[in-house]
Amino acid sequence: MTMMTHSLIVIAVIVIAFVITKKYKLETEISMIVASVAAILAHIIVPMGVDPRSDLPFTEIVRHLVEGATTYFDVCLIFLTATFFMSLFNESGGVAFIVRKIVRKFHAHRMICLLLLTIIMMIPGAITGSGATTVLTVGGLVGAVLKAMGVNKDKRIALIFILGAMSAACPPINLWAMMAAAGANMPYVGFTLPLLIVSVTGALFASYYLAGKGQKILLDDALADLPEAPEGWNFTKALTPFLVLIVLILAGRYFPFTMPTLGLPFVFMVSAFILYFIAPKKVNIMQTAMKTVENLKGLVGIMVAVGILNQTMTLTGARGLLSLGVVKLPIVVLFSTLWLILPISEGVLQYAVAPLFGVPLIMLFNMLGYDPVISLAAWSVMWPLGDCLPPTAVVGRAAVLELDYKGDYYKGFVKSALVPMLFILLLSSLMMIFSKEIGAWL
Amino acid sequence: MNLKQAKIIILVVVLLLTGLAGYMFYEQRNYKETVVVSEGITEVKKLSNYSDSIKGSVNDTNVYIFDSGKEGGTFLICGGTHAEEPACNLAALVFAENLKVTQGRIIVINRINISGSLATRMGEAYPRYYHIETPWGVQKFRFGDRCCSPLDSWPDPEVYIHYDSRQNLANVDIRNTNRSWPGRPNGLIAERTTYAIMELIRQEDVDYVLDFHEAELEYPVENTIVTHERGNEVAAMTSMILSANVFDVPIGMEFSPKELHGLSHREIGDASNAVSYLAEVAEPMLDRIRGITDEELLLSGKDRFVMEAGKAGLLYAPIDEDGWHIDKRVARHVKTALTIIESNNMMNPDQTILVEGMPSYEEMMSNGVGAYLLDPESVDEGRLYYE
Repeated sequence: MTMMTHSLIVIAVIVIAFVITKKYKLETEISMIVASVAAILAHIIVPMGVDPRSDLPFTEIVRHLVEGATTYFDVCLIFLTATFFMSLFNESGGVAFIVRKIVRKFHAHRMICLLLLTIIMMIPGAITGSGATTVLTVGGLVGAVLKAMGVNKDKRIALIFILGAMSAACPPINLWAMMAAAGANMPYVGFTLPLLIVSVTGALFASYYLAGKGQKILLDDALADLPEAPEGWNFTKALTPFLVLIVLILAGRYFPFTMPTLGLPFVFMVSAFILYFIAPKKVNIMQTAMKTVENLKGLVGIMVAVGILNQTMTLTGARGLLSLGVVKLPIVVLFSTLWLILPISEGVLQYAVAPLFGVPLIMLFNMLGYDPVISLAAWSVMWPLGDCLPPTAVVGRAAVLELDYKGDYYKGFVKSALVPMLFILLLSSLMMIFSKEIGAWL
Repeated sequence: MNLKQAKIIILVVVLLLTGLAGYMFYEQRNYKETVVVSEGITEVKKLSNYSDSIKGSVNDTNVYIFDSGKEGGTFLICGGTHAEEPACNLAALVFAENLKVTQGRIIVINRINISGSLATRMGEAYPRYYHIETPWGVQKFRFGDRCCSPLDSWPDPEVYIHYDSRQNLANVDIRNTNRSWPGRPNGLIAERTTYAIMELIRQEDVDYVLDFHEAELEYPVENTIVTHERGNEVAAMTSMILSANVFDVPIGMEFSPKELHGLSHREIGDASNAVSYLAEVAEPMLDRIRGITDEELLLSGKDRFVMEAGKAGLLYAPIDEDGWHIDKRVARHVKTALTIIESNNMMNPDQTILVEGMPSYEEMMSNGVGAYLLDPESVDEGRLYYE
């Protein structure tokens, strides 16, 4: 048996184990862990090819599983602290205050209101690189305004998701581009303009396509539907925690050699405590923290499970086989399928896809004479669109959580998002195909 | 059994397994490698002797000085910049354990970034150790991460802004000791480490520096010497000599890009009087398209998926049934360093360095790297060091 057959069998075992466990209604994260363990068992049992291989003792298997579980530790911390911050803001009445103000001010100017909301949604992901952070911090607030604007629940969640995805793709921080560039020993330079053009165009298209039309907002009715803000809120109080957040992040960016590296989790916690002290309504901070952890259990669990699956696939050669399969595709097939391969792989492995597919693709495109920076920028806008796809669907799940969406995930949410997603994928594909010309032009 | 009991059992099992893995992480972090220095050693210093910036940290590495006492040049050899590139610290170790300098000085650092070797790279399924067969038994080495361990440098910023060019790099590269040159004394550990080495270069008046690396075969900068523009003649001559007379796979020569900051071949040359070189050799273990990841691959450098990619014309280095064995990778690095010395002697006679005791390329290829590693139990304690 060849190593290729071995790794193919491992992939088949992963798929079969996942399908069976899902059939028995196990949670996605549990199914992924079971699939990982099944993969390792298959790896041990099935012959590994003609070349000699090292032993894999039980203790090392355990080490690999635990090590894989910690791969996205930082991302999980960001999810938890960002959500804690926003939950605190929401429960203190800050969200209600801001939403009411926006509706009151812009109810007669739908287009301006939409533009404003798009900007609000783009900022958190652009500075943190995480679509889930966008959705978990401002998704609920923007969703509430969209509701007041008469956008139906399916379009509302579709828009929140796409804006979350585009915010993650938006410069200055695009984690996919950064990780792939680091793997290919490229500086993270030259990405700003191509990323900005595609992500902002995509975000604006989605906003006006999904929420551009709608009935005129009746101010009194809209305000009556929105929760009342507690007494004592004003713009200074409402904006100060966000200001602290932005200042701390930007200080690290503009004074990198004097400002200590705080890390986003700590920045969110500092902002949360400032919010707690200035909010007119005091909430039980421990209760909010526990509720946050409870709400994010699934999301954090997915990230842990993806880390384990990724480590297992790497160990068994399954990851390499997938990567080899992609780069060996004829260029025409590659061009015509990457718009599907990249989002789908993101749905399976999250950020791990950037080095997995990104690095070999950069090398391949460079060899073929395409502009690697523009091409990587194009892929880095396609990847986050897969964050609503199974099995992980991290940003999609976060949107469901934040908007308390009760509709059908696929027939309601994903179907509504389809046209803007296809538009963005087409735009990115064109940028990839004409990367050389665009690179020379930019 | 009810659900609550099942949950408790699962929790206990998970805690036990996590505890076991925790012990293994602890074991790797505390495992010491032995170094038996050659009889030609003059002095062993700590990196903190050159700068307090690194004092008390795990990267306060040993600095092995081989001084002939006879006027000549000073050459610094750097191994272990990336712990996932084992041929680099091994090549430096072969120097540290065999070298005798009869003119000029050679300074050897086996592991620039000890921190990176104290933990593995999450998500890459690396082995924790690798083992080299020697005539006296098996010697065990730590494998590790490309970057410093998060235990020594955490959290990462959202984006790494290089000092002092302000070039943006991936956030994890703030822990990469080949993206943090020339460093700064009050930065994070990678920056403090490279700053301390820059201080060593300045204080010891080093003439030229060689930084050993390995690269994936998909990467265009492969089997080559990357040189600062001041080293182009020496690098070109080295490349010609080795490609024509010694190596089966030629070694190229490339200029350090001026716009790419933080790398040793650019920043050492810019920030000091020393000329900087960086040598690359192929390591299939680093390819993303590699198959089963284990110690065997690390040592044999033979991977069927990488070979498939080679057949499809997707690689920048050849690979066949022989793979890229660790013996070959180490032998190439050792020979490259020795040839750089010879070439520099010709180009800059005032910097002449003469060495003895080093194995030839052919000897290393036929006897293996293990033949040139010394038994820690056969020497007196004065020659024994730990890393």
